[in-house]
Amino acid sequence: MSPRPDAAARLRRLLTVIPWIVDHQGSALSEIAARFGMSVPELERDLELVPFCGLPPYSPDRLIDCEIVDGRVFLRFAEYFARPLRLTPSEGFALLAAGRGLLAVPGADPGGSLARALDKLAGVLGGADGMAVEWAPARFLEPLRQAAAAAERVEIDYYAFGRDALTTRRIDPHAVFAAAGQWYVDAWCHRAGDERLFRVDRVRDVRPTGEHFEAARPATAAAPTSLFHPGADDLRVTLCLAPEAGWVVETYPTESVEVEPDGRLRVVLVASERPWLERLLLRLGPAGEVVAPDEARAAGPSAAKRLLARYVGVSPPCP
Amino acid sequence: MGSVADRLERLTNLVAVLLDTRRALTVEEIVERVPGYPEDRDSYRRQFERDKATLREIGVPISLEALYAFDQESGYRIHRSDYELPALDLAEDERVALHLAVTAVSLEGGEGRSALLKLGGLVGDPAAPLAALPSVPALPALFDAYRRRARASFPFRGEERRLDLYGILFRNGHWYAVGHDPDRDATRAFRADRIDGPVVLGPAGTFERPDGFDPAAAVRDDPWQFGDEQPVTAEVLVHPPQAGWVAADLGEEAVAERRDDGSVVLRMAVTNRDAFRAFVLGLLDHAEVLGPPMLRDEMVAFLKQLAARGVPGGDR
Repeated sequence: MSPRPDAAARLRRLLTVIPWIVDHQGSALSEIAARFGMSVPELERDLELVPFCGLPPYSPDRLIDCEIVDGRVFLRFAEYFARPLRLTPSEGFALLAAGRGLLAVPGADPGGSLARALDKLAGVLGGADGMAVEWAPARFLEPLRQAAAAAERVEIDYYAFGRDALTTRRIDPHAVFAAAGQWYVDAWCHRAGDERLFRVDRVRDVRPTGEHFEAARPATAAAPTSLFHPGADDLRVTLCLAPEAGWVVETYPTESVEVEPDGRLRVVLVASERPWLERLLLRLGPAGEVVAPDEARAAGPSAAKRLLARYVGVSPPCP
Repeated sequence: MGSVADRLERLTNLVAVLLDTRRALTVEEIVERVPGYPEDRDSYRRQFERDKATLREIGVPISLEALYAFDQESGYRIHRSDYELPALDLAEDERVALHLAVTAVSLEGGEGRSALLKLGGLVGDPAAPLAALPSVPALPALFDAYRRRARASFPFRGEERRLDLYGILFRNGHWYAVGHDPDRDATRAFRADRIDGPVVLGPAGTFERPDGFDPAAAVRDDPWQFGDEQPVTAEVLVHPPQAGWVAADLGEEAVAERRDDGSVVLRMAVTNRDAFRAFVLGLLDHAEVLGPPMLRDEMVAFLKQLAARGVPGGDR
């Protein structure tokens, strides 16, 4: 194994910790370690090295002087490490994205300490106002966040997009979070008797029930990384797509994608709900069709016939 | 030799020497000053190349420059002004707020935490995760182009494009680079995940961002306006209960008529008919194009073509 990544990671840490200690002489080992997200033994191991670093001819007055007295650290002769390294593009981007992202959450204080911090970082980050993060509008975000925070059971009207149907159900909202630009509520659904993920923009109403639930998980539960967990029994369809319909692969989770010799794509995806499949096929039009299974082959044409009836019933305004 | 501690010591000394020097140093001078390099010329050169790569990887800006004016020979140094994070004067509550932001909104594979360390460490408690942002390989370079006002060039859908970045926008789950396209002399937005190659930056400071430029305002939000077709005003009938939600999404100004049965007639400015058709069809049985006749005819023709598929002898 190459020792390189480890040396690089430790150097990065060292070049960050030294300037802070120089600026805060006599800080406790435990405080420094906590501040820089490391353990005290890790910090001690890094600091053991410091007295061997410096400038030629590496005489005592040219080496960094590191003293640890009663668990407090003092560093001298390290003027060249007086400041931390500037932010890399990845660091700057991540910091600004997080800051702008949080300020875009409804209820954030546009004049608060986060906004002030981003203003102060404007010189480093190239101006905070050039980045905009938008979360999808979600009318019932606030009541759902409040219900989750207070462990309140609520009744919701929910538009099941896949089935194209409005449903009413009681849920125990555990956590509300945004992923892929959309807001979701992760909840126990009493109707399904199972955990369910609901898109907040498809919640049409939230009503209190006056009941509370036992918060089963700590508030720091991580947001799920994948939002789509198809079951083994869900219907898989095989689509044949024209090359210009490649957006389907970019937009929906697929189980397999093959490129045919003529450039067409053969894609298998989960389409457990008929209206969902109809929408996709209507949108694709001539650019895509179902090739398997047999019972799904007519889904597109029959949906088109059904919609067409609407246009034939009303006297068309065309000659 | 060769242990992590030895290498860390050598790298630390290397940074110190390159920061301290008043002029660029040749590799030989560096090896002479920094202990721990092998004797043999090929070996120390190789070792130095590896060290240099490691330093660049963690963001240490090493510049290569001529030793003296008009001199052919070149050497290395680190300019303090390139290396050092400027003084920022962050208050403790501001550090707490940044820590909360970086923990609440996580950028996939992001380096927000290591940015916080450079800004003075983690202060206060982390927040519960609230939102996740996707990451795209092109983003750090695009951000750097924005920050340094350097022209960016990148391959986009098989074409080499150039952009003076005025801003970066996250919308509908995607990142966009927004700015002025010098080749088309127009404002353009590029989806960052569709950039399929390296982003190359020109010299810094070559353009000015317009005052108060708002990337969110510069990019049209509705997909049916995302195009350059001849503008058409479409009228769409939407039935309840969808009517209420769609009207709320599009805004009251889009509502041309509210009917007694709860349905609404929407008026939409369309410059991208494919996206318009996708919007209407996405509402399935709940929506209908009323006019103008041309758009209604197009919808009927589209549906007829699709309906005829799978019918024996039908139009394929």
